[in-house]
Amino acid sequence: MANTALAVLESALRAKKLDRTLTTALPPVEQSPEACAQTGIAAVDACLRNGVPRGQLSELTGPRSAGCTTLLLQTMAVATRRGELAALVDTFDRLDVTSMAAAGADLGRVLWIRGQAGGPPEWAIDRALKALNLVLQAGGFGLVAIDLADVPGAMLRRIPFTTWLRVQRAVEGRDTACVLVVPEPIARSAGGLTLTVAGRTSWTGSSARPRVAGAELKMRVVSPRRRVDGEVALSAYVAGSTLVAAGL
Amino acid sequence: MFGALYAAAGSDPAQLVDVAREFSPRIDVCGPREITLDVSGLERLFGDARTIAGELRRTAADHGLQVRVAMAGSRTAARLLARHRAGLTIVDAGDDAAALAPLPLELLLQVRGCGPSGSPQEIDDTDADICASFRRWGLRSLGEVAALPPADVAARLGQAGVQWQRLARGEDPAPLVPAVPEERFEQALDLEWPIDGLEPLSFVLGRLMDPLSAHLERRDRGAAVLHVRLHLVSKAVHERSLELPAPMRDARTLRTLVLLDLESHPPAAAIDRVVVAVDPTPARVLQYSLLTRPLPSPEQVSTLMARLNALMGEGRCGAPGLVDSWRPGAFDMCPFAPGDGGGEGGEGGEGKALVVALRRFRFAVPARVLVEDGRPVRVTTERRGISGGRIEKCAGPWRTSGEWWLADTGSGGPGGSGESGRSDSPWDRDEWDVTVSDGATYRLFRERDANAWFIDGVLD
Repeated sequence: MANTALAVLESALRAKKLDRTLTTALPPVEQSPEACAQTGIAAVDACLRNGVPRGQLSELTGPRSAGCTTLLLQTMAVATRRGELAALVDTFDRLDVTSMAAAGADLGRVLWIRGQAGGPPEWAIDRALKALNLVLQAGGFGLVAIDLADVPGAMLRRIPFTTWLRVQRAVEGRDTACVLVVPEPIARSAGGLTLTVAGRTSWTGSSARPRVAGAELKMRVVSPRRRVDGEVALSAYVAGSTLVAAGL
Repeated sequence: MFGALYAAAGSDPAQLVDVAREFSPRIDVCGPREITLDVSGLERLFGDARTIAGELRRTAADHGLQVRVAMAGSRTAARLLARHRAGLTIVDAGDDAAALAPLPLELLLQVRGCGPSGSPQEIDDTDADICASFRRWGLRSLGEVAALPPADVAARLGQAGVQWQRLARGEDPAPLVPAVPEERFEQALDLEWPIDGLEPLSFVLGRLMDPLSAHLERRDRGAAVLHVRLHLVSKAVHERSLELPAPMRDARTLRTLVLLDLESHPPAAAIDRVVVAVDPTPARVLQYSLLTRPLPSPEQVSTLMARLNALMGEGRCGAPGLVDSWRPGAFDMCPFAPGDGGGEGGEGGEGKALVVALRRFRFAVPARVLVEDGRPVRVTTERRGISGGRIEKCAGPWRTSGEWWLADTGSGGPGGSGESGRSDSPWDRDEWDVTVSDGATYRLFRERDANAWFIDGVLD
């Protein structure tokens, strides 16, 4: 009997049908709009079935220039425009405030926690994680994000997994959607999502005088439990090129 | 029965208040030299009205004050009589109008010239006009004004004229609102043994904050500023003042805020005595809504910000703000104080174009750039984690400069905004957007003065 159960489990693991948390607390497949933080991009929200789930830890992953920051700022901007509060734990102090304003965020509703750009990265990560815990425990935020995009993968993997379990526990049952911005998938809760972004910069103009037009983003959603797998293609524009296109 | 005290010029108003409070808690400060008090019920302590008036005058003399005392059935009558007659004046209840009848009309102008808070106020034009009208009609005393038909007074002078007539009859315009003595919201504790460290101090603060919070709650007040004075064994006094973003009185929150502040600014020696005082302010009135998502309370935000500041350092947490400047990367840190207003509600502006974001290096990263035919073809840097390589595509140069008219006093680094987001140093640079072989798109710039290349950020 025990051997049979073990065989079933092993076969499921081989087929990758089990989530890595191995929890049995399955969230409902259909989530109401109130239970999600919408990104404001219709195609993405449709793919995610209303947006990033609240009370869960989700991930936004991708290499440099893939468009993770663009999507994050857009989601935060939409949250603030809904009247919610958003918090960004900026581990290495990388936020460009002009970009956030260009995304349409209500800056007065954004709590920006700036890490130290210099110094050992381990210290910055440690402080950022503590700050994330404080913000989550305080509650009242619709969206809380931590930017670990510039942390090398090896250093990310050295963070004990219990750290992410604590974060999951802190966000569980709250109205907060917690988002990690990381270069590779590292942690998400059972009901969370992994959004893998692969993008490239798009150029325009003549070969002699090219200029950056924006970015072509491809986003893939990984969420076995919620069965919302899919790919979305998006176009983003540089703020200046939008003005050029508008004839300003 | 009411009494009125009218002190001689140059008297100390505080002494006058003290004299009145020795007799009754129900006092009304009508001016710097004038107080009315409710003496109802004092008969059993002192005797009849004349005895009470005599005691009032004697007590005032003990305080070094020369006062006129009048006792009457209404405050207005007592005030008018005290202003007009020296010594003691006693009027039996019901005889106010008769006692006031011979008094001159100008007394009313003086009485109406004192504000309810006790401060002299300007006699407005309406009162002066009404007084002049009565004089033109040949009226000289309050009794003559009181005898006029009220309907005719109202028809000719309006409600202000009717109010004058009521005062002339000795009727009070409003009930007595007792002046509340100024309360000190302060708690202190002398320690038997000096304490060192924050952990034992937290228990002491807890003992002080609980009664302070209860006192504030009883008076429906909140703390606007929290003062902490720590008397040290070195005879020095360590003082800290916390300006709170909103009135609050939760003992636990106040204690946490003080402890977090003292973590950053610890006392230099062991503590002998702890004093906590607050500047009170009217408490907040909250209206919650079922239709909007609740925001964290000011107490929660204050505590969170104090904890974050203790963890990350002062000035590293707050709301981002834009700066009216062309300086690349300029920003401002504003206090994070979200209000209920703002927010468009609804779905939050779907359909808005997605704008590519820049990840900015707060201190620009020095880079080595190979330039051919005036265009960068290869970029390398020693900074770990930033991939360089052959440049596939590039756009530029976009020249930008500014604040060259100012002295070079800033600390913003090579044309950057620096740690604080603001800088006064001039910048003059050529910017390039480059895509390297691994697909990453960087923003480079060349400092034109130093001919040095830097990586400003990465498009992401």
